[in-house]
Amino acid sequence: MGNSNTAAAPAPAAVNSDRGWRALFAQLLRTRHGSLGAGILIVMALVALMAGMIAPFDPLQQTQTSLSPPTAEYLFGTDNIGRDVFSQVVYGARSSLFVGLGAALAALLVGGTIGILAGYFQGPVEAVLMRVVELFQTLPVIILVLCAVALFGSNFWLLIAAVALAIWPMEARLVYGQYIKLRDREFIAAARVADLSTAHIMFREILPNAIQPVIVQVALDASIAILIEAGLGFLGLSDPDMVSWGRLLFVAQDYMDSAWWMSLFPGAAICLAVVGLNLFADGLNEVIDPRSGGATGGLQ
Amino acid sequence: MTAQPILLDVRDLKVHLRVGPVLVKAIDGVDFQVRHGECVGIVGESGSGKSTMARAVTRLMPNVAIGELSGDLKFEGRDILAMPDRELRSLRRGRGFSMIFQDPLGYLNPTQRIGRQIEEALSRDDAAGSDKARVHALLDEVGLPDPVNLARRYPHELSGGQRQRVMIAIALASGPQLLFADEPTTALDATVQLQVLQTLYRLHRERNMAMAIITHDLGVVAELCDRVYVMRGGKVIETADTVSLFEAPRHDYSRRLIELSARHHNQEARA
Amino acid sequence: MLRFVGRRALYAIPLLFAIVVLMFSMLHLIPGDPVQALVGDYPVPPAYRAAIEEKYRLNDPFLVQVSNYLVNIAQGDFGFSYQNQRAVLDLILERAPRTILLASVSFGLAIPLGMLIGILTGTTRRPGVDKFWTTTALIAYAIPTFWLGQLFVMFFALRLGWFPTQGIGPLVSRAQGFAWLMEKLRYLALPVLAFGIHEGMRIARIMRASVVDTLSQGYIITARAKGLSRGQIIRGHVLRNSSLPLVTIAGYAFGSALGGAVLLETVFTWPGLGLLLVDSIRLRDNMTVVGVVIFSAVAVVVMNLVVDLLYAALDPRIRTMG
Repeated sequence: MGNSNTAAAPAPAAVNSDRGWRALFAQLLRTRHGSLGAGILIVMALVALMAGMIAPFDPLQQTQTSLSPPTAEYLFGTDNIGRDVFSQVVYGARSSLFVGLGAALAALLVGGTIGILAGYFQGPVEAVLMRVVELFQTLPVIILVLCAVALFGSNFWLLIAAVALAIWPMEARLVYGQYIKLRDREFIAAARVADLSTAHIMFREILPNAIQPVIVQVALDASIAILIEAGLGFLGLSDPDMVSWGRLLFVAQDYMDSAWWMSLFPGAAICLAVVGLNLFADGLNEVIDPRSGGATGGLQ
Repeated sequence: MTAQPILLDVRDLKVHLRVGPVLVKAIDGVDFQVRHGECVGIVGESGSGKSTMARAVTRLMPNVAIGELSGDLKFEGRDILAMPDRELRSLRRGRGFSMIFQDPLGYLNPTQRIGRQIEEALSRDDAAGSDKARVHALLDEVGLPDPVNLARRYPHELSGGQRQRVMIAIALASGPQLLFADEPTTALDATVQLQVLQTLYRLHRERNMAMAIITHDLGVVAELCDRVYVMRGGKVIETADTVSLFEAPRHDYSRRLIELSARHHNQEARA
Repeated sequence: MLRFVGRRALYAIPLLFAIVVLMFSMLHLIPGDPVQALVGDYPVPPAYRAAIEEKYRLNDPFLVQVSNYLVNIAQGDFGFSYQNQRAVLDLILERAPRTILLASVSFGLAIPLGMLIGILTGTTRRPGVDKFWTTTALIAYAIPTFWLGQLFVMFFALRLGWFPTQGIGPLVSRAQGFAWLMEKLRYLALPVLAFGIHEGMRIARIMRASVVDTLSQGYIITARAKGLSRGQIIRGHVLRNSSLPLVTIAGYAFGSALGGAVLLETVFTWPGLGLLLVDSIRLRDNMTVVGVVIFSAVAVVVMNLVVDLLYAALDPRIRTMG
């Protein structure tokens, strides 16, 4: 056991990129959280992709049976103008998941680039960039997002950009932190000595090791993005041409007293997507940092 | 030296830890004893199991996955392993055993004043004087100047040596019969090391308190200990009184340890 | 410590400056007639038009407009809301206390709840307890606050009739003293529950992580070595040291609270700052929109400063080293 300074158990070696992605995934599935989360996500992705085959009705199709509670024909009931809620929820998966993942990836792109740049160039560049990150993090970004959408419209791509605006600081911080951690390691120095180009160092040496917590953060960001997008939809600010869960809740707001199913099912869908992403992130976190799972570190 | 009665009697101690899929035999059948008022050294390199031993015996293991923890552990004739929590705690709070650790900065609460941390450890029997007075007396006893002001400070305001003395004060607060010291001077500067060791020796004498010093540094053992256990790979490979060990080590390993230590101390002396 | 706080305060000023300029630029970028952009969906008589152009120097270069705007803001002139026929600042000051009321009572619920659950799950020896609460917290965190609000309204207000469905109070209230308090609480109850539970679970997650981290520290072993009981260790060592990280996120929490307020006030038609923002967006009353955003941003920056002060006061390492 040797001279342990703290009470922490000797942590098993963190997953190395040598072990490969397949091993990582296999380990993930062995954790309860990871497998449950991955399962939910896969189901949702399938639903979104095969919406056309799963949904019995066209989501925008108005029928005569308006405000009908759930029946065999209309599994989730119908809304105020007779649209089938089940079909709407199924199709809603597309836009919500797309915006969620899209915004998370956009945030990764922007935030990650800024994080790497700050870490690589150091000095004044680093200071300025991190101040900007801090600026965006302390502002009430939901409000900024609202503002942006309100002023510039709710076009689909603008929506993704607006949501990404809210979450990129977290990515930047994380990537920056990861970079800093690895920046002083020997293999960077070795690569420098071997006179490899900047890009090479950044992508081949740093990326595989740094990427794991980043994936966790992307999953978490996607869940936040879905919640933000739902919020925007709820306020009536999402793209009116797209069926989105948030927007369904917006419509449901006026019918709380007569049609509980209009609110229950879209909301549950949002919840499920967010839970799935968070479980996935938790599972992944457990794999790469085993200490995060256990309670009672030193207390017995 | 007349043989005092045995205070701590450890027989066939086994500690197996689960590290991932592997079972590590940190301690594999160890016997050792500490008598009243004597000072015992447990030496070995990293991974020999010496630190684990101290933690296991005092039941201060961190929350690692313990595969097996067995053996016959008796303190003053009482079975430590079978002892219920409450009894163990009262043993730690008074006339039992205490422990000081290698990393005083990490092992002191950064948000609590020194005085308060010592006060927390005071034994609850009807001792003379107020808590504050007893804290000051302890600080004085471990060789810290200006106890009144020091008690109001926070750990990060003290030097490494001062912090270690505070740890000792905390350990002494309960009036223990046996003090475990896990690498007490390893994290300190060379000059401070000697001072702390001398303090420990003085306390050992003044209080007639038994000590078990865990260290990789045989120089420490030479200063303080009456008897030594040499550990390697979870087992005790040699035990003797200090003088005999240094003069005629029976094992090659022990000899190597002695040589390494000597060389290290010579280098430091020259520096 | 003063040095620490002074530095933070120094950051705040250019921050606020940047915010105001940013917001003004956004205003400027709205496509279409700039006068209409400022006024919203309200028809603009020519006399007004001339007055607005004069006041906001719409015909002058951008820099002049910005500085003019900055000067106005500094003097407390956030513009005029033509929809509401009132000065924007007036509107804001009327609405803000209601949002503050909602937010503070909600956090008054969320913080103790979150800390309790966080400590419970972080220190429990039974994995079942930990799993249960962690899962509950996860689900509660995943539920959008506004949906939870809708569910509460549908169940507790509409179906059970225990609480009103919306608003801050009855149109005409003749209640006095204790009855008045009870009435206020009835209207507060559902929104506070919806908000408080959500935020509470978020805090619980953070607290749990903090507790787990604290428990792995050396001084916990020292505490055990002293013979302290579990309860004593938790009260004396874990509680305080685990709570410190909470203070750092308090600043962010305030910002997110504002966001949450927007959504929640819409569900419950709670006449606060959030509802004002949403209504103004719908009516394109951009002057008000920008005014509210700037006000919120300033509030958040100030709040963050306060939080930093609090943290510096609580952590002895900063207090003594500065």
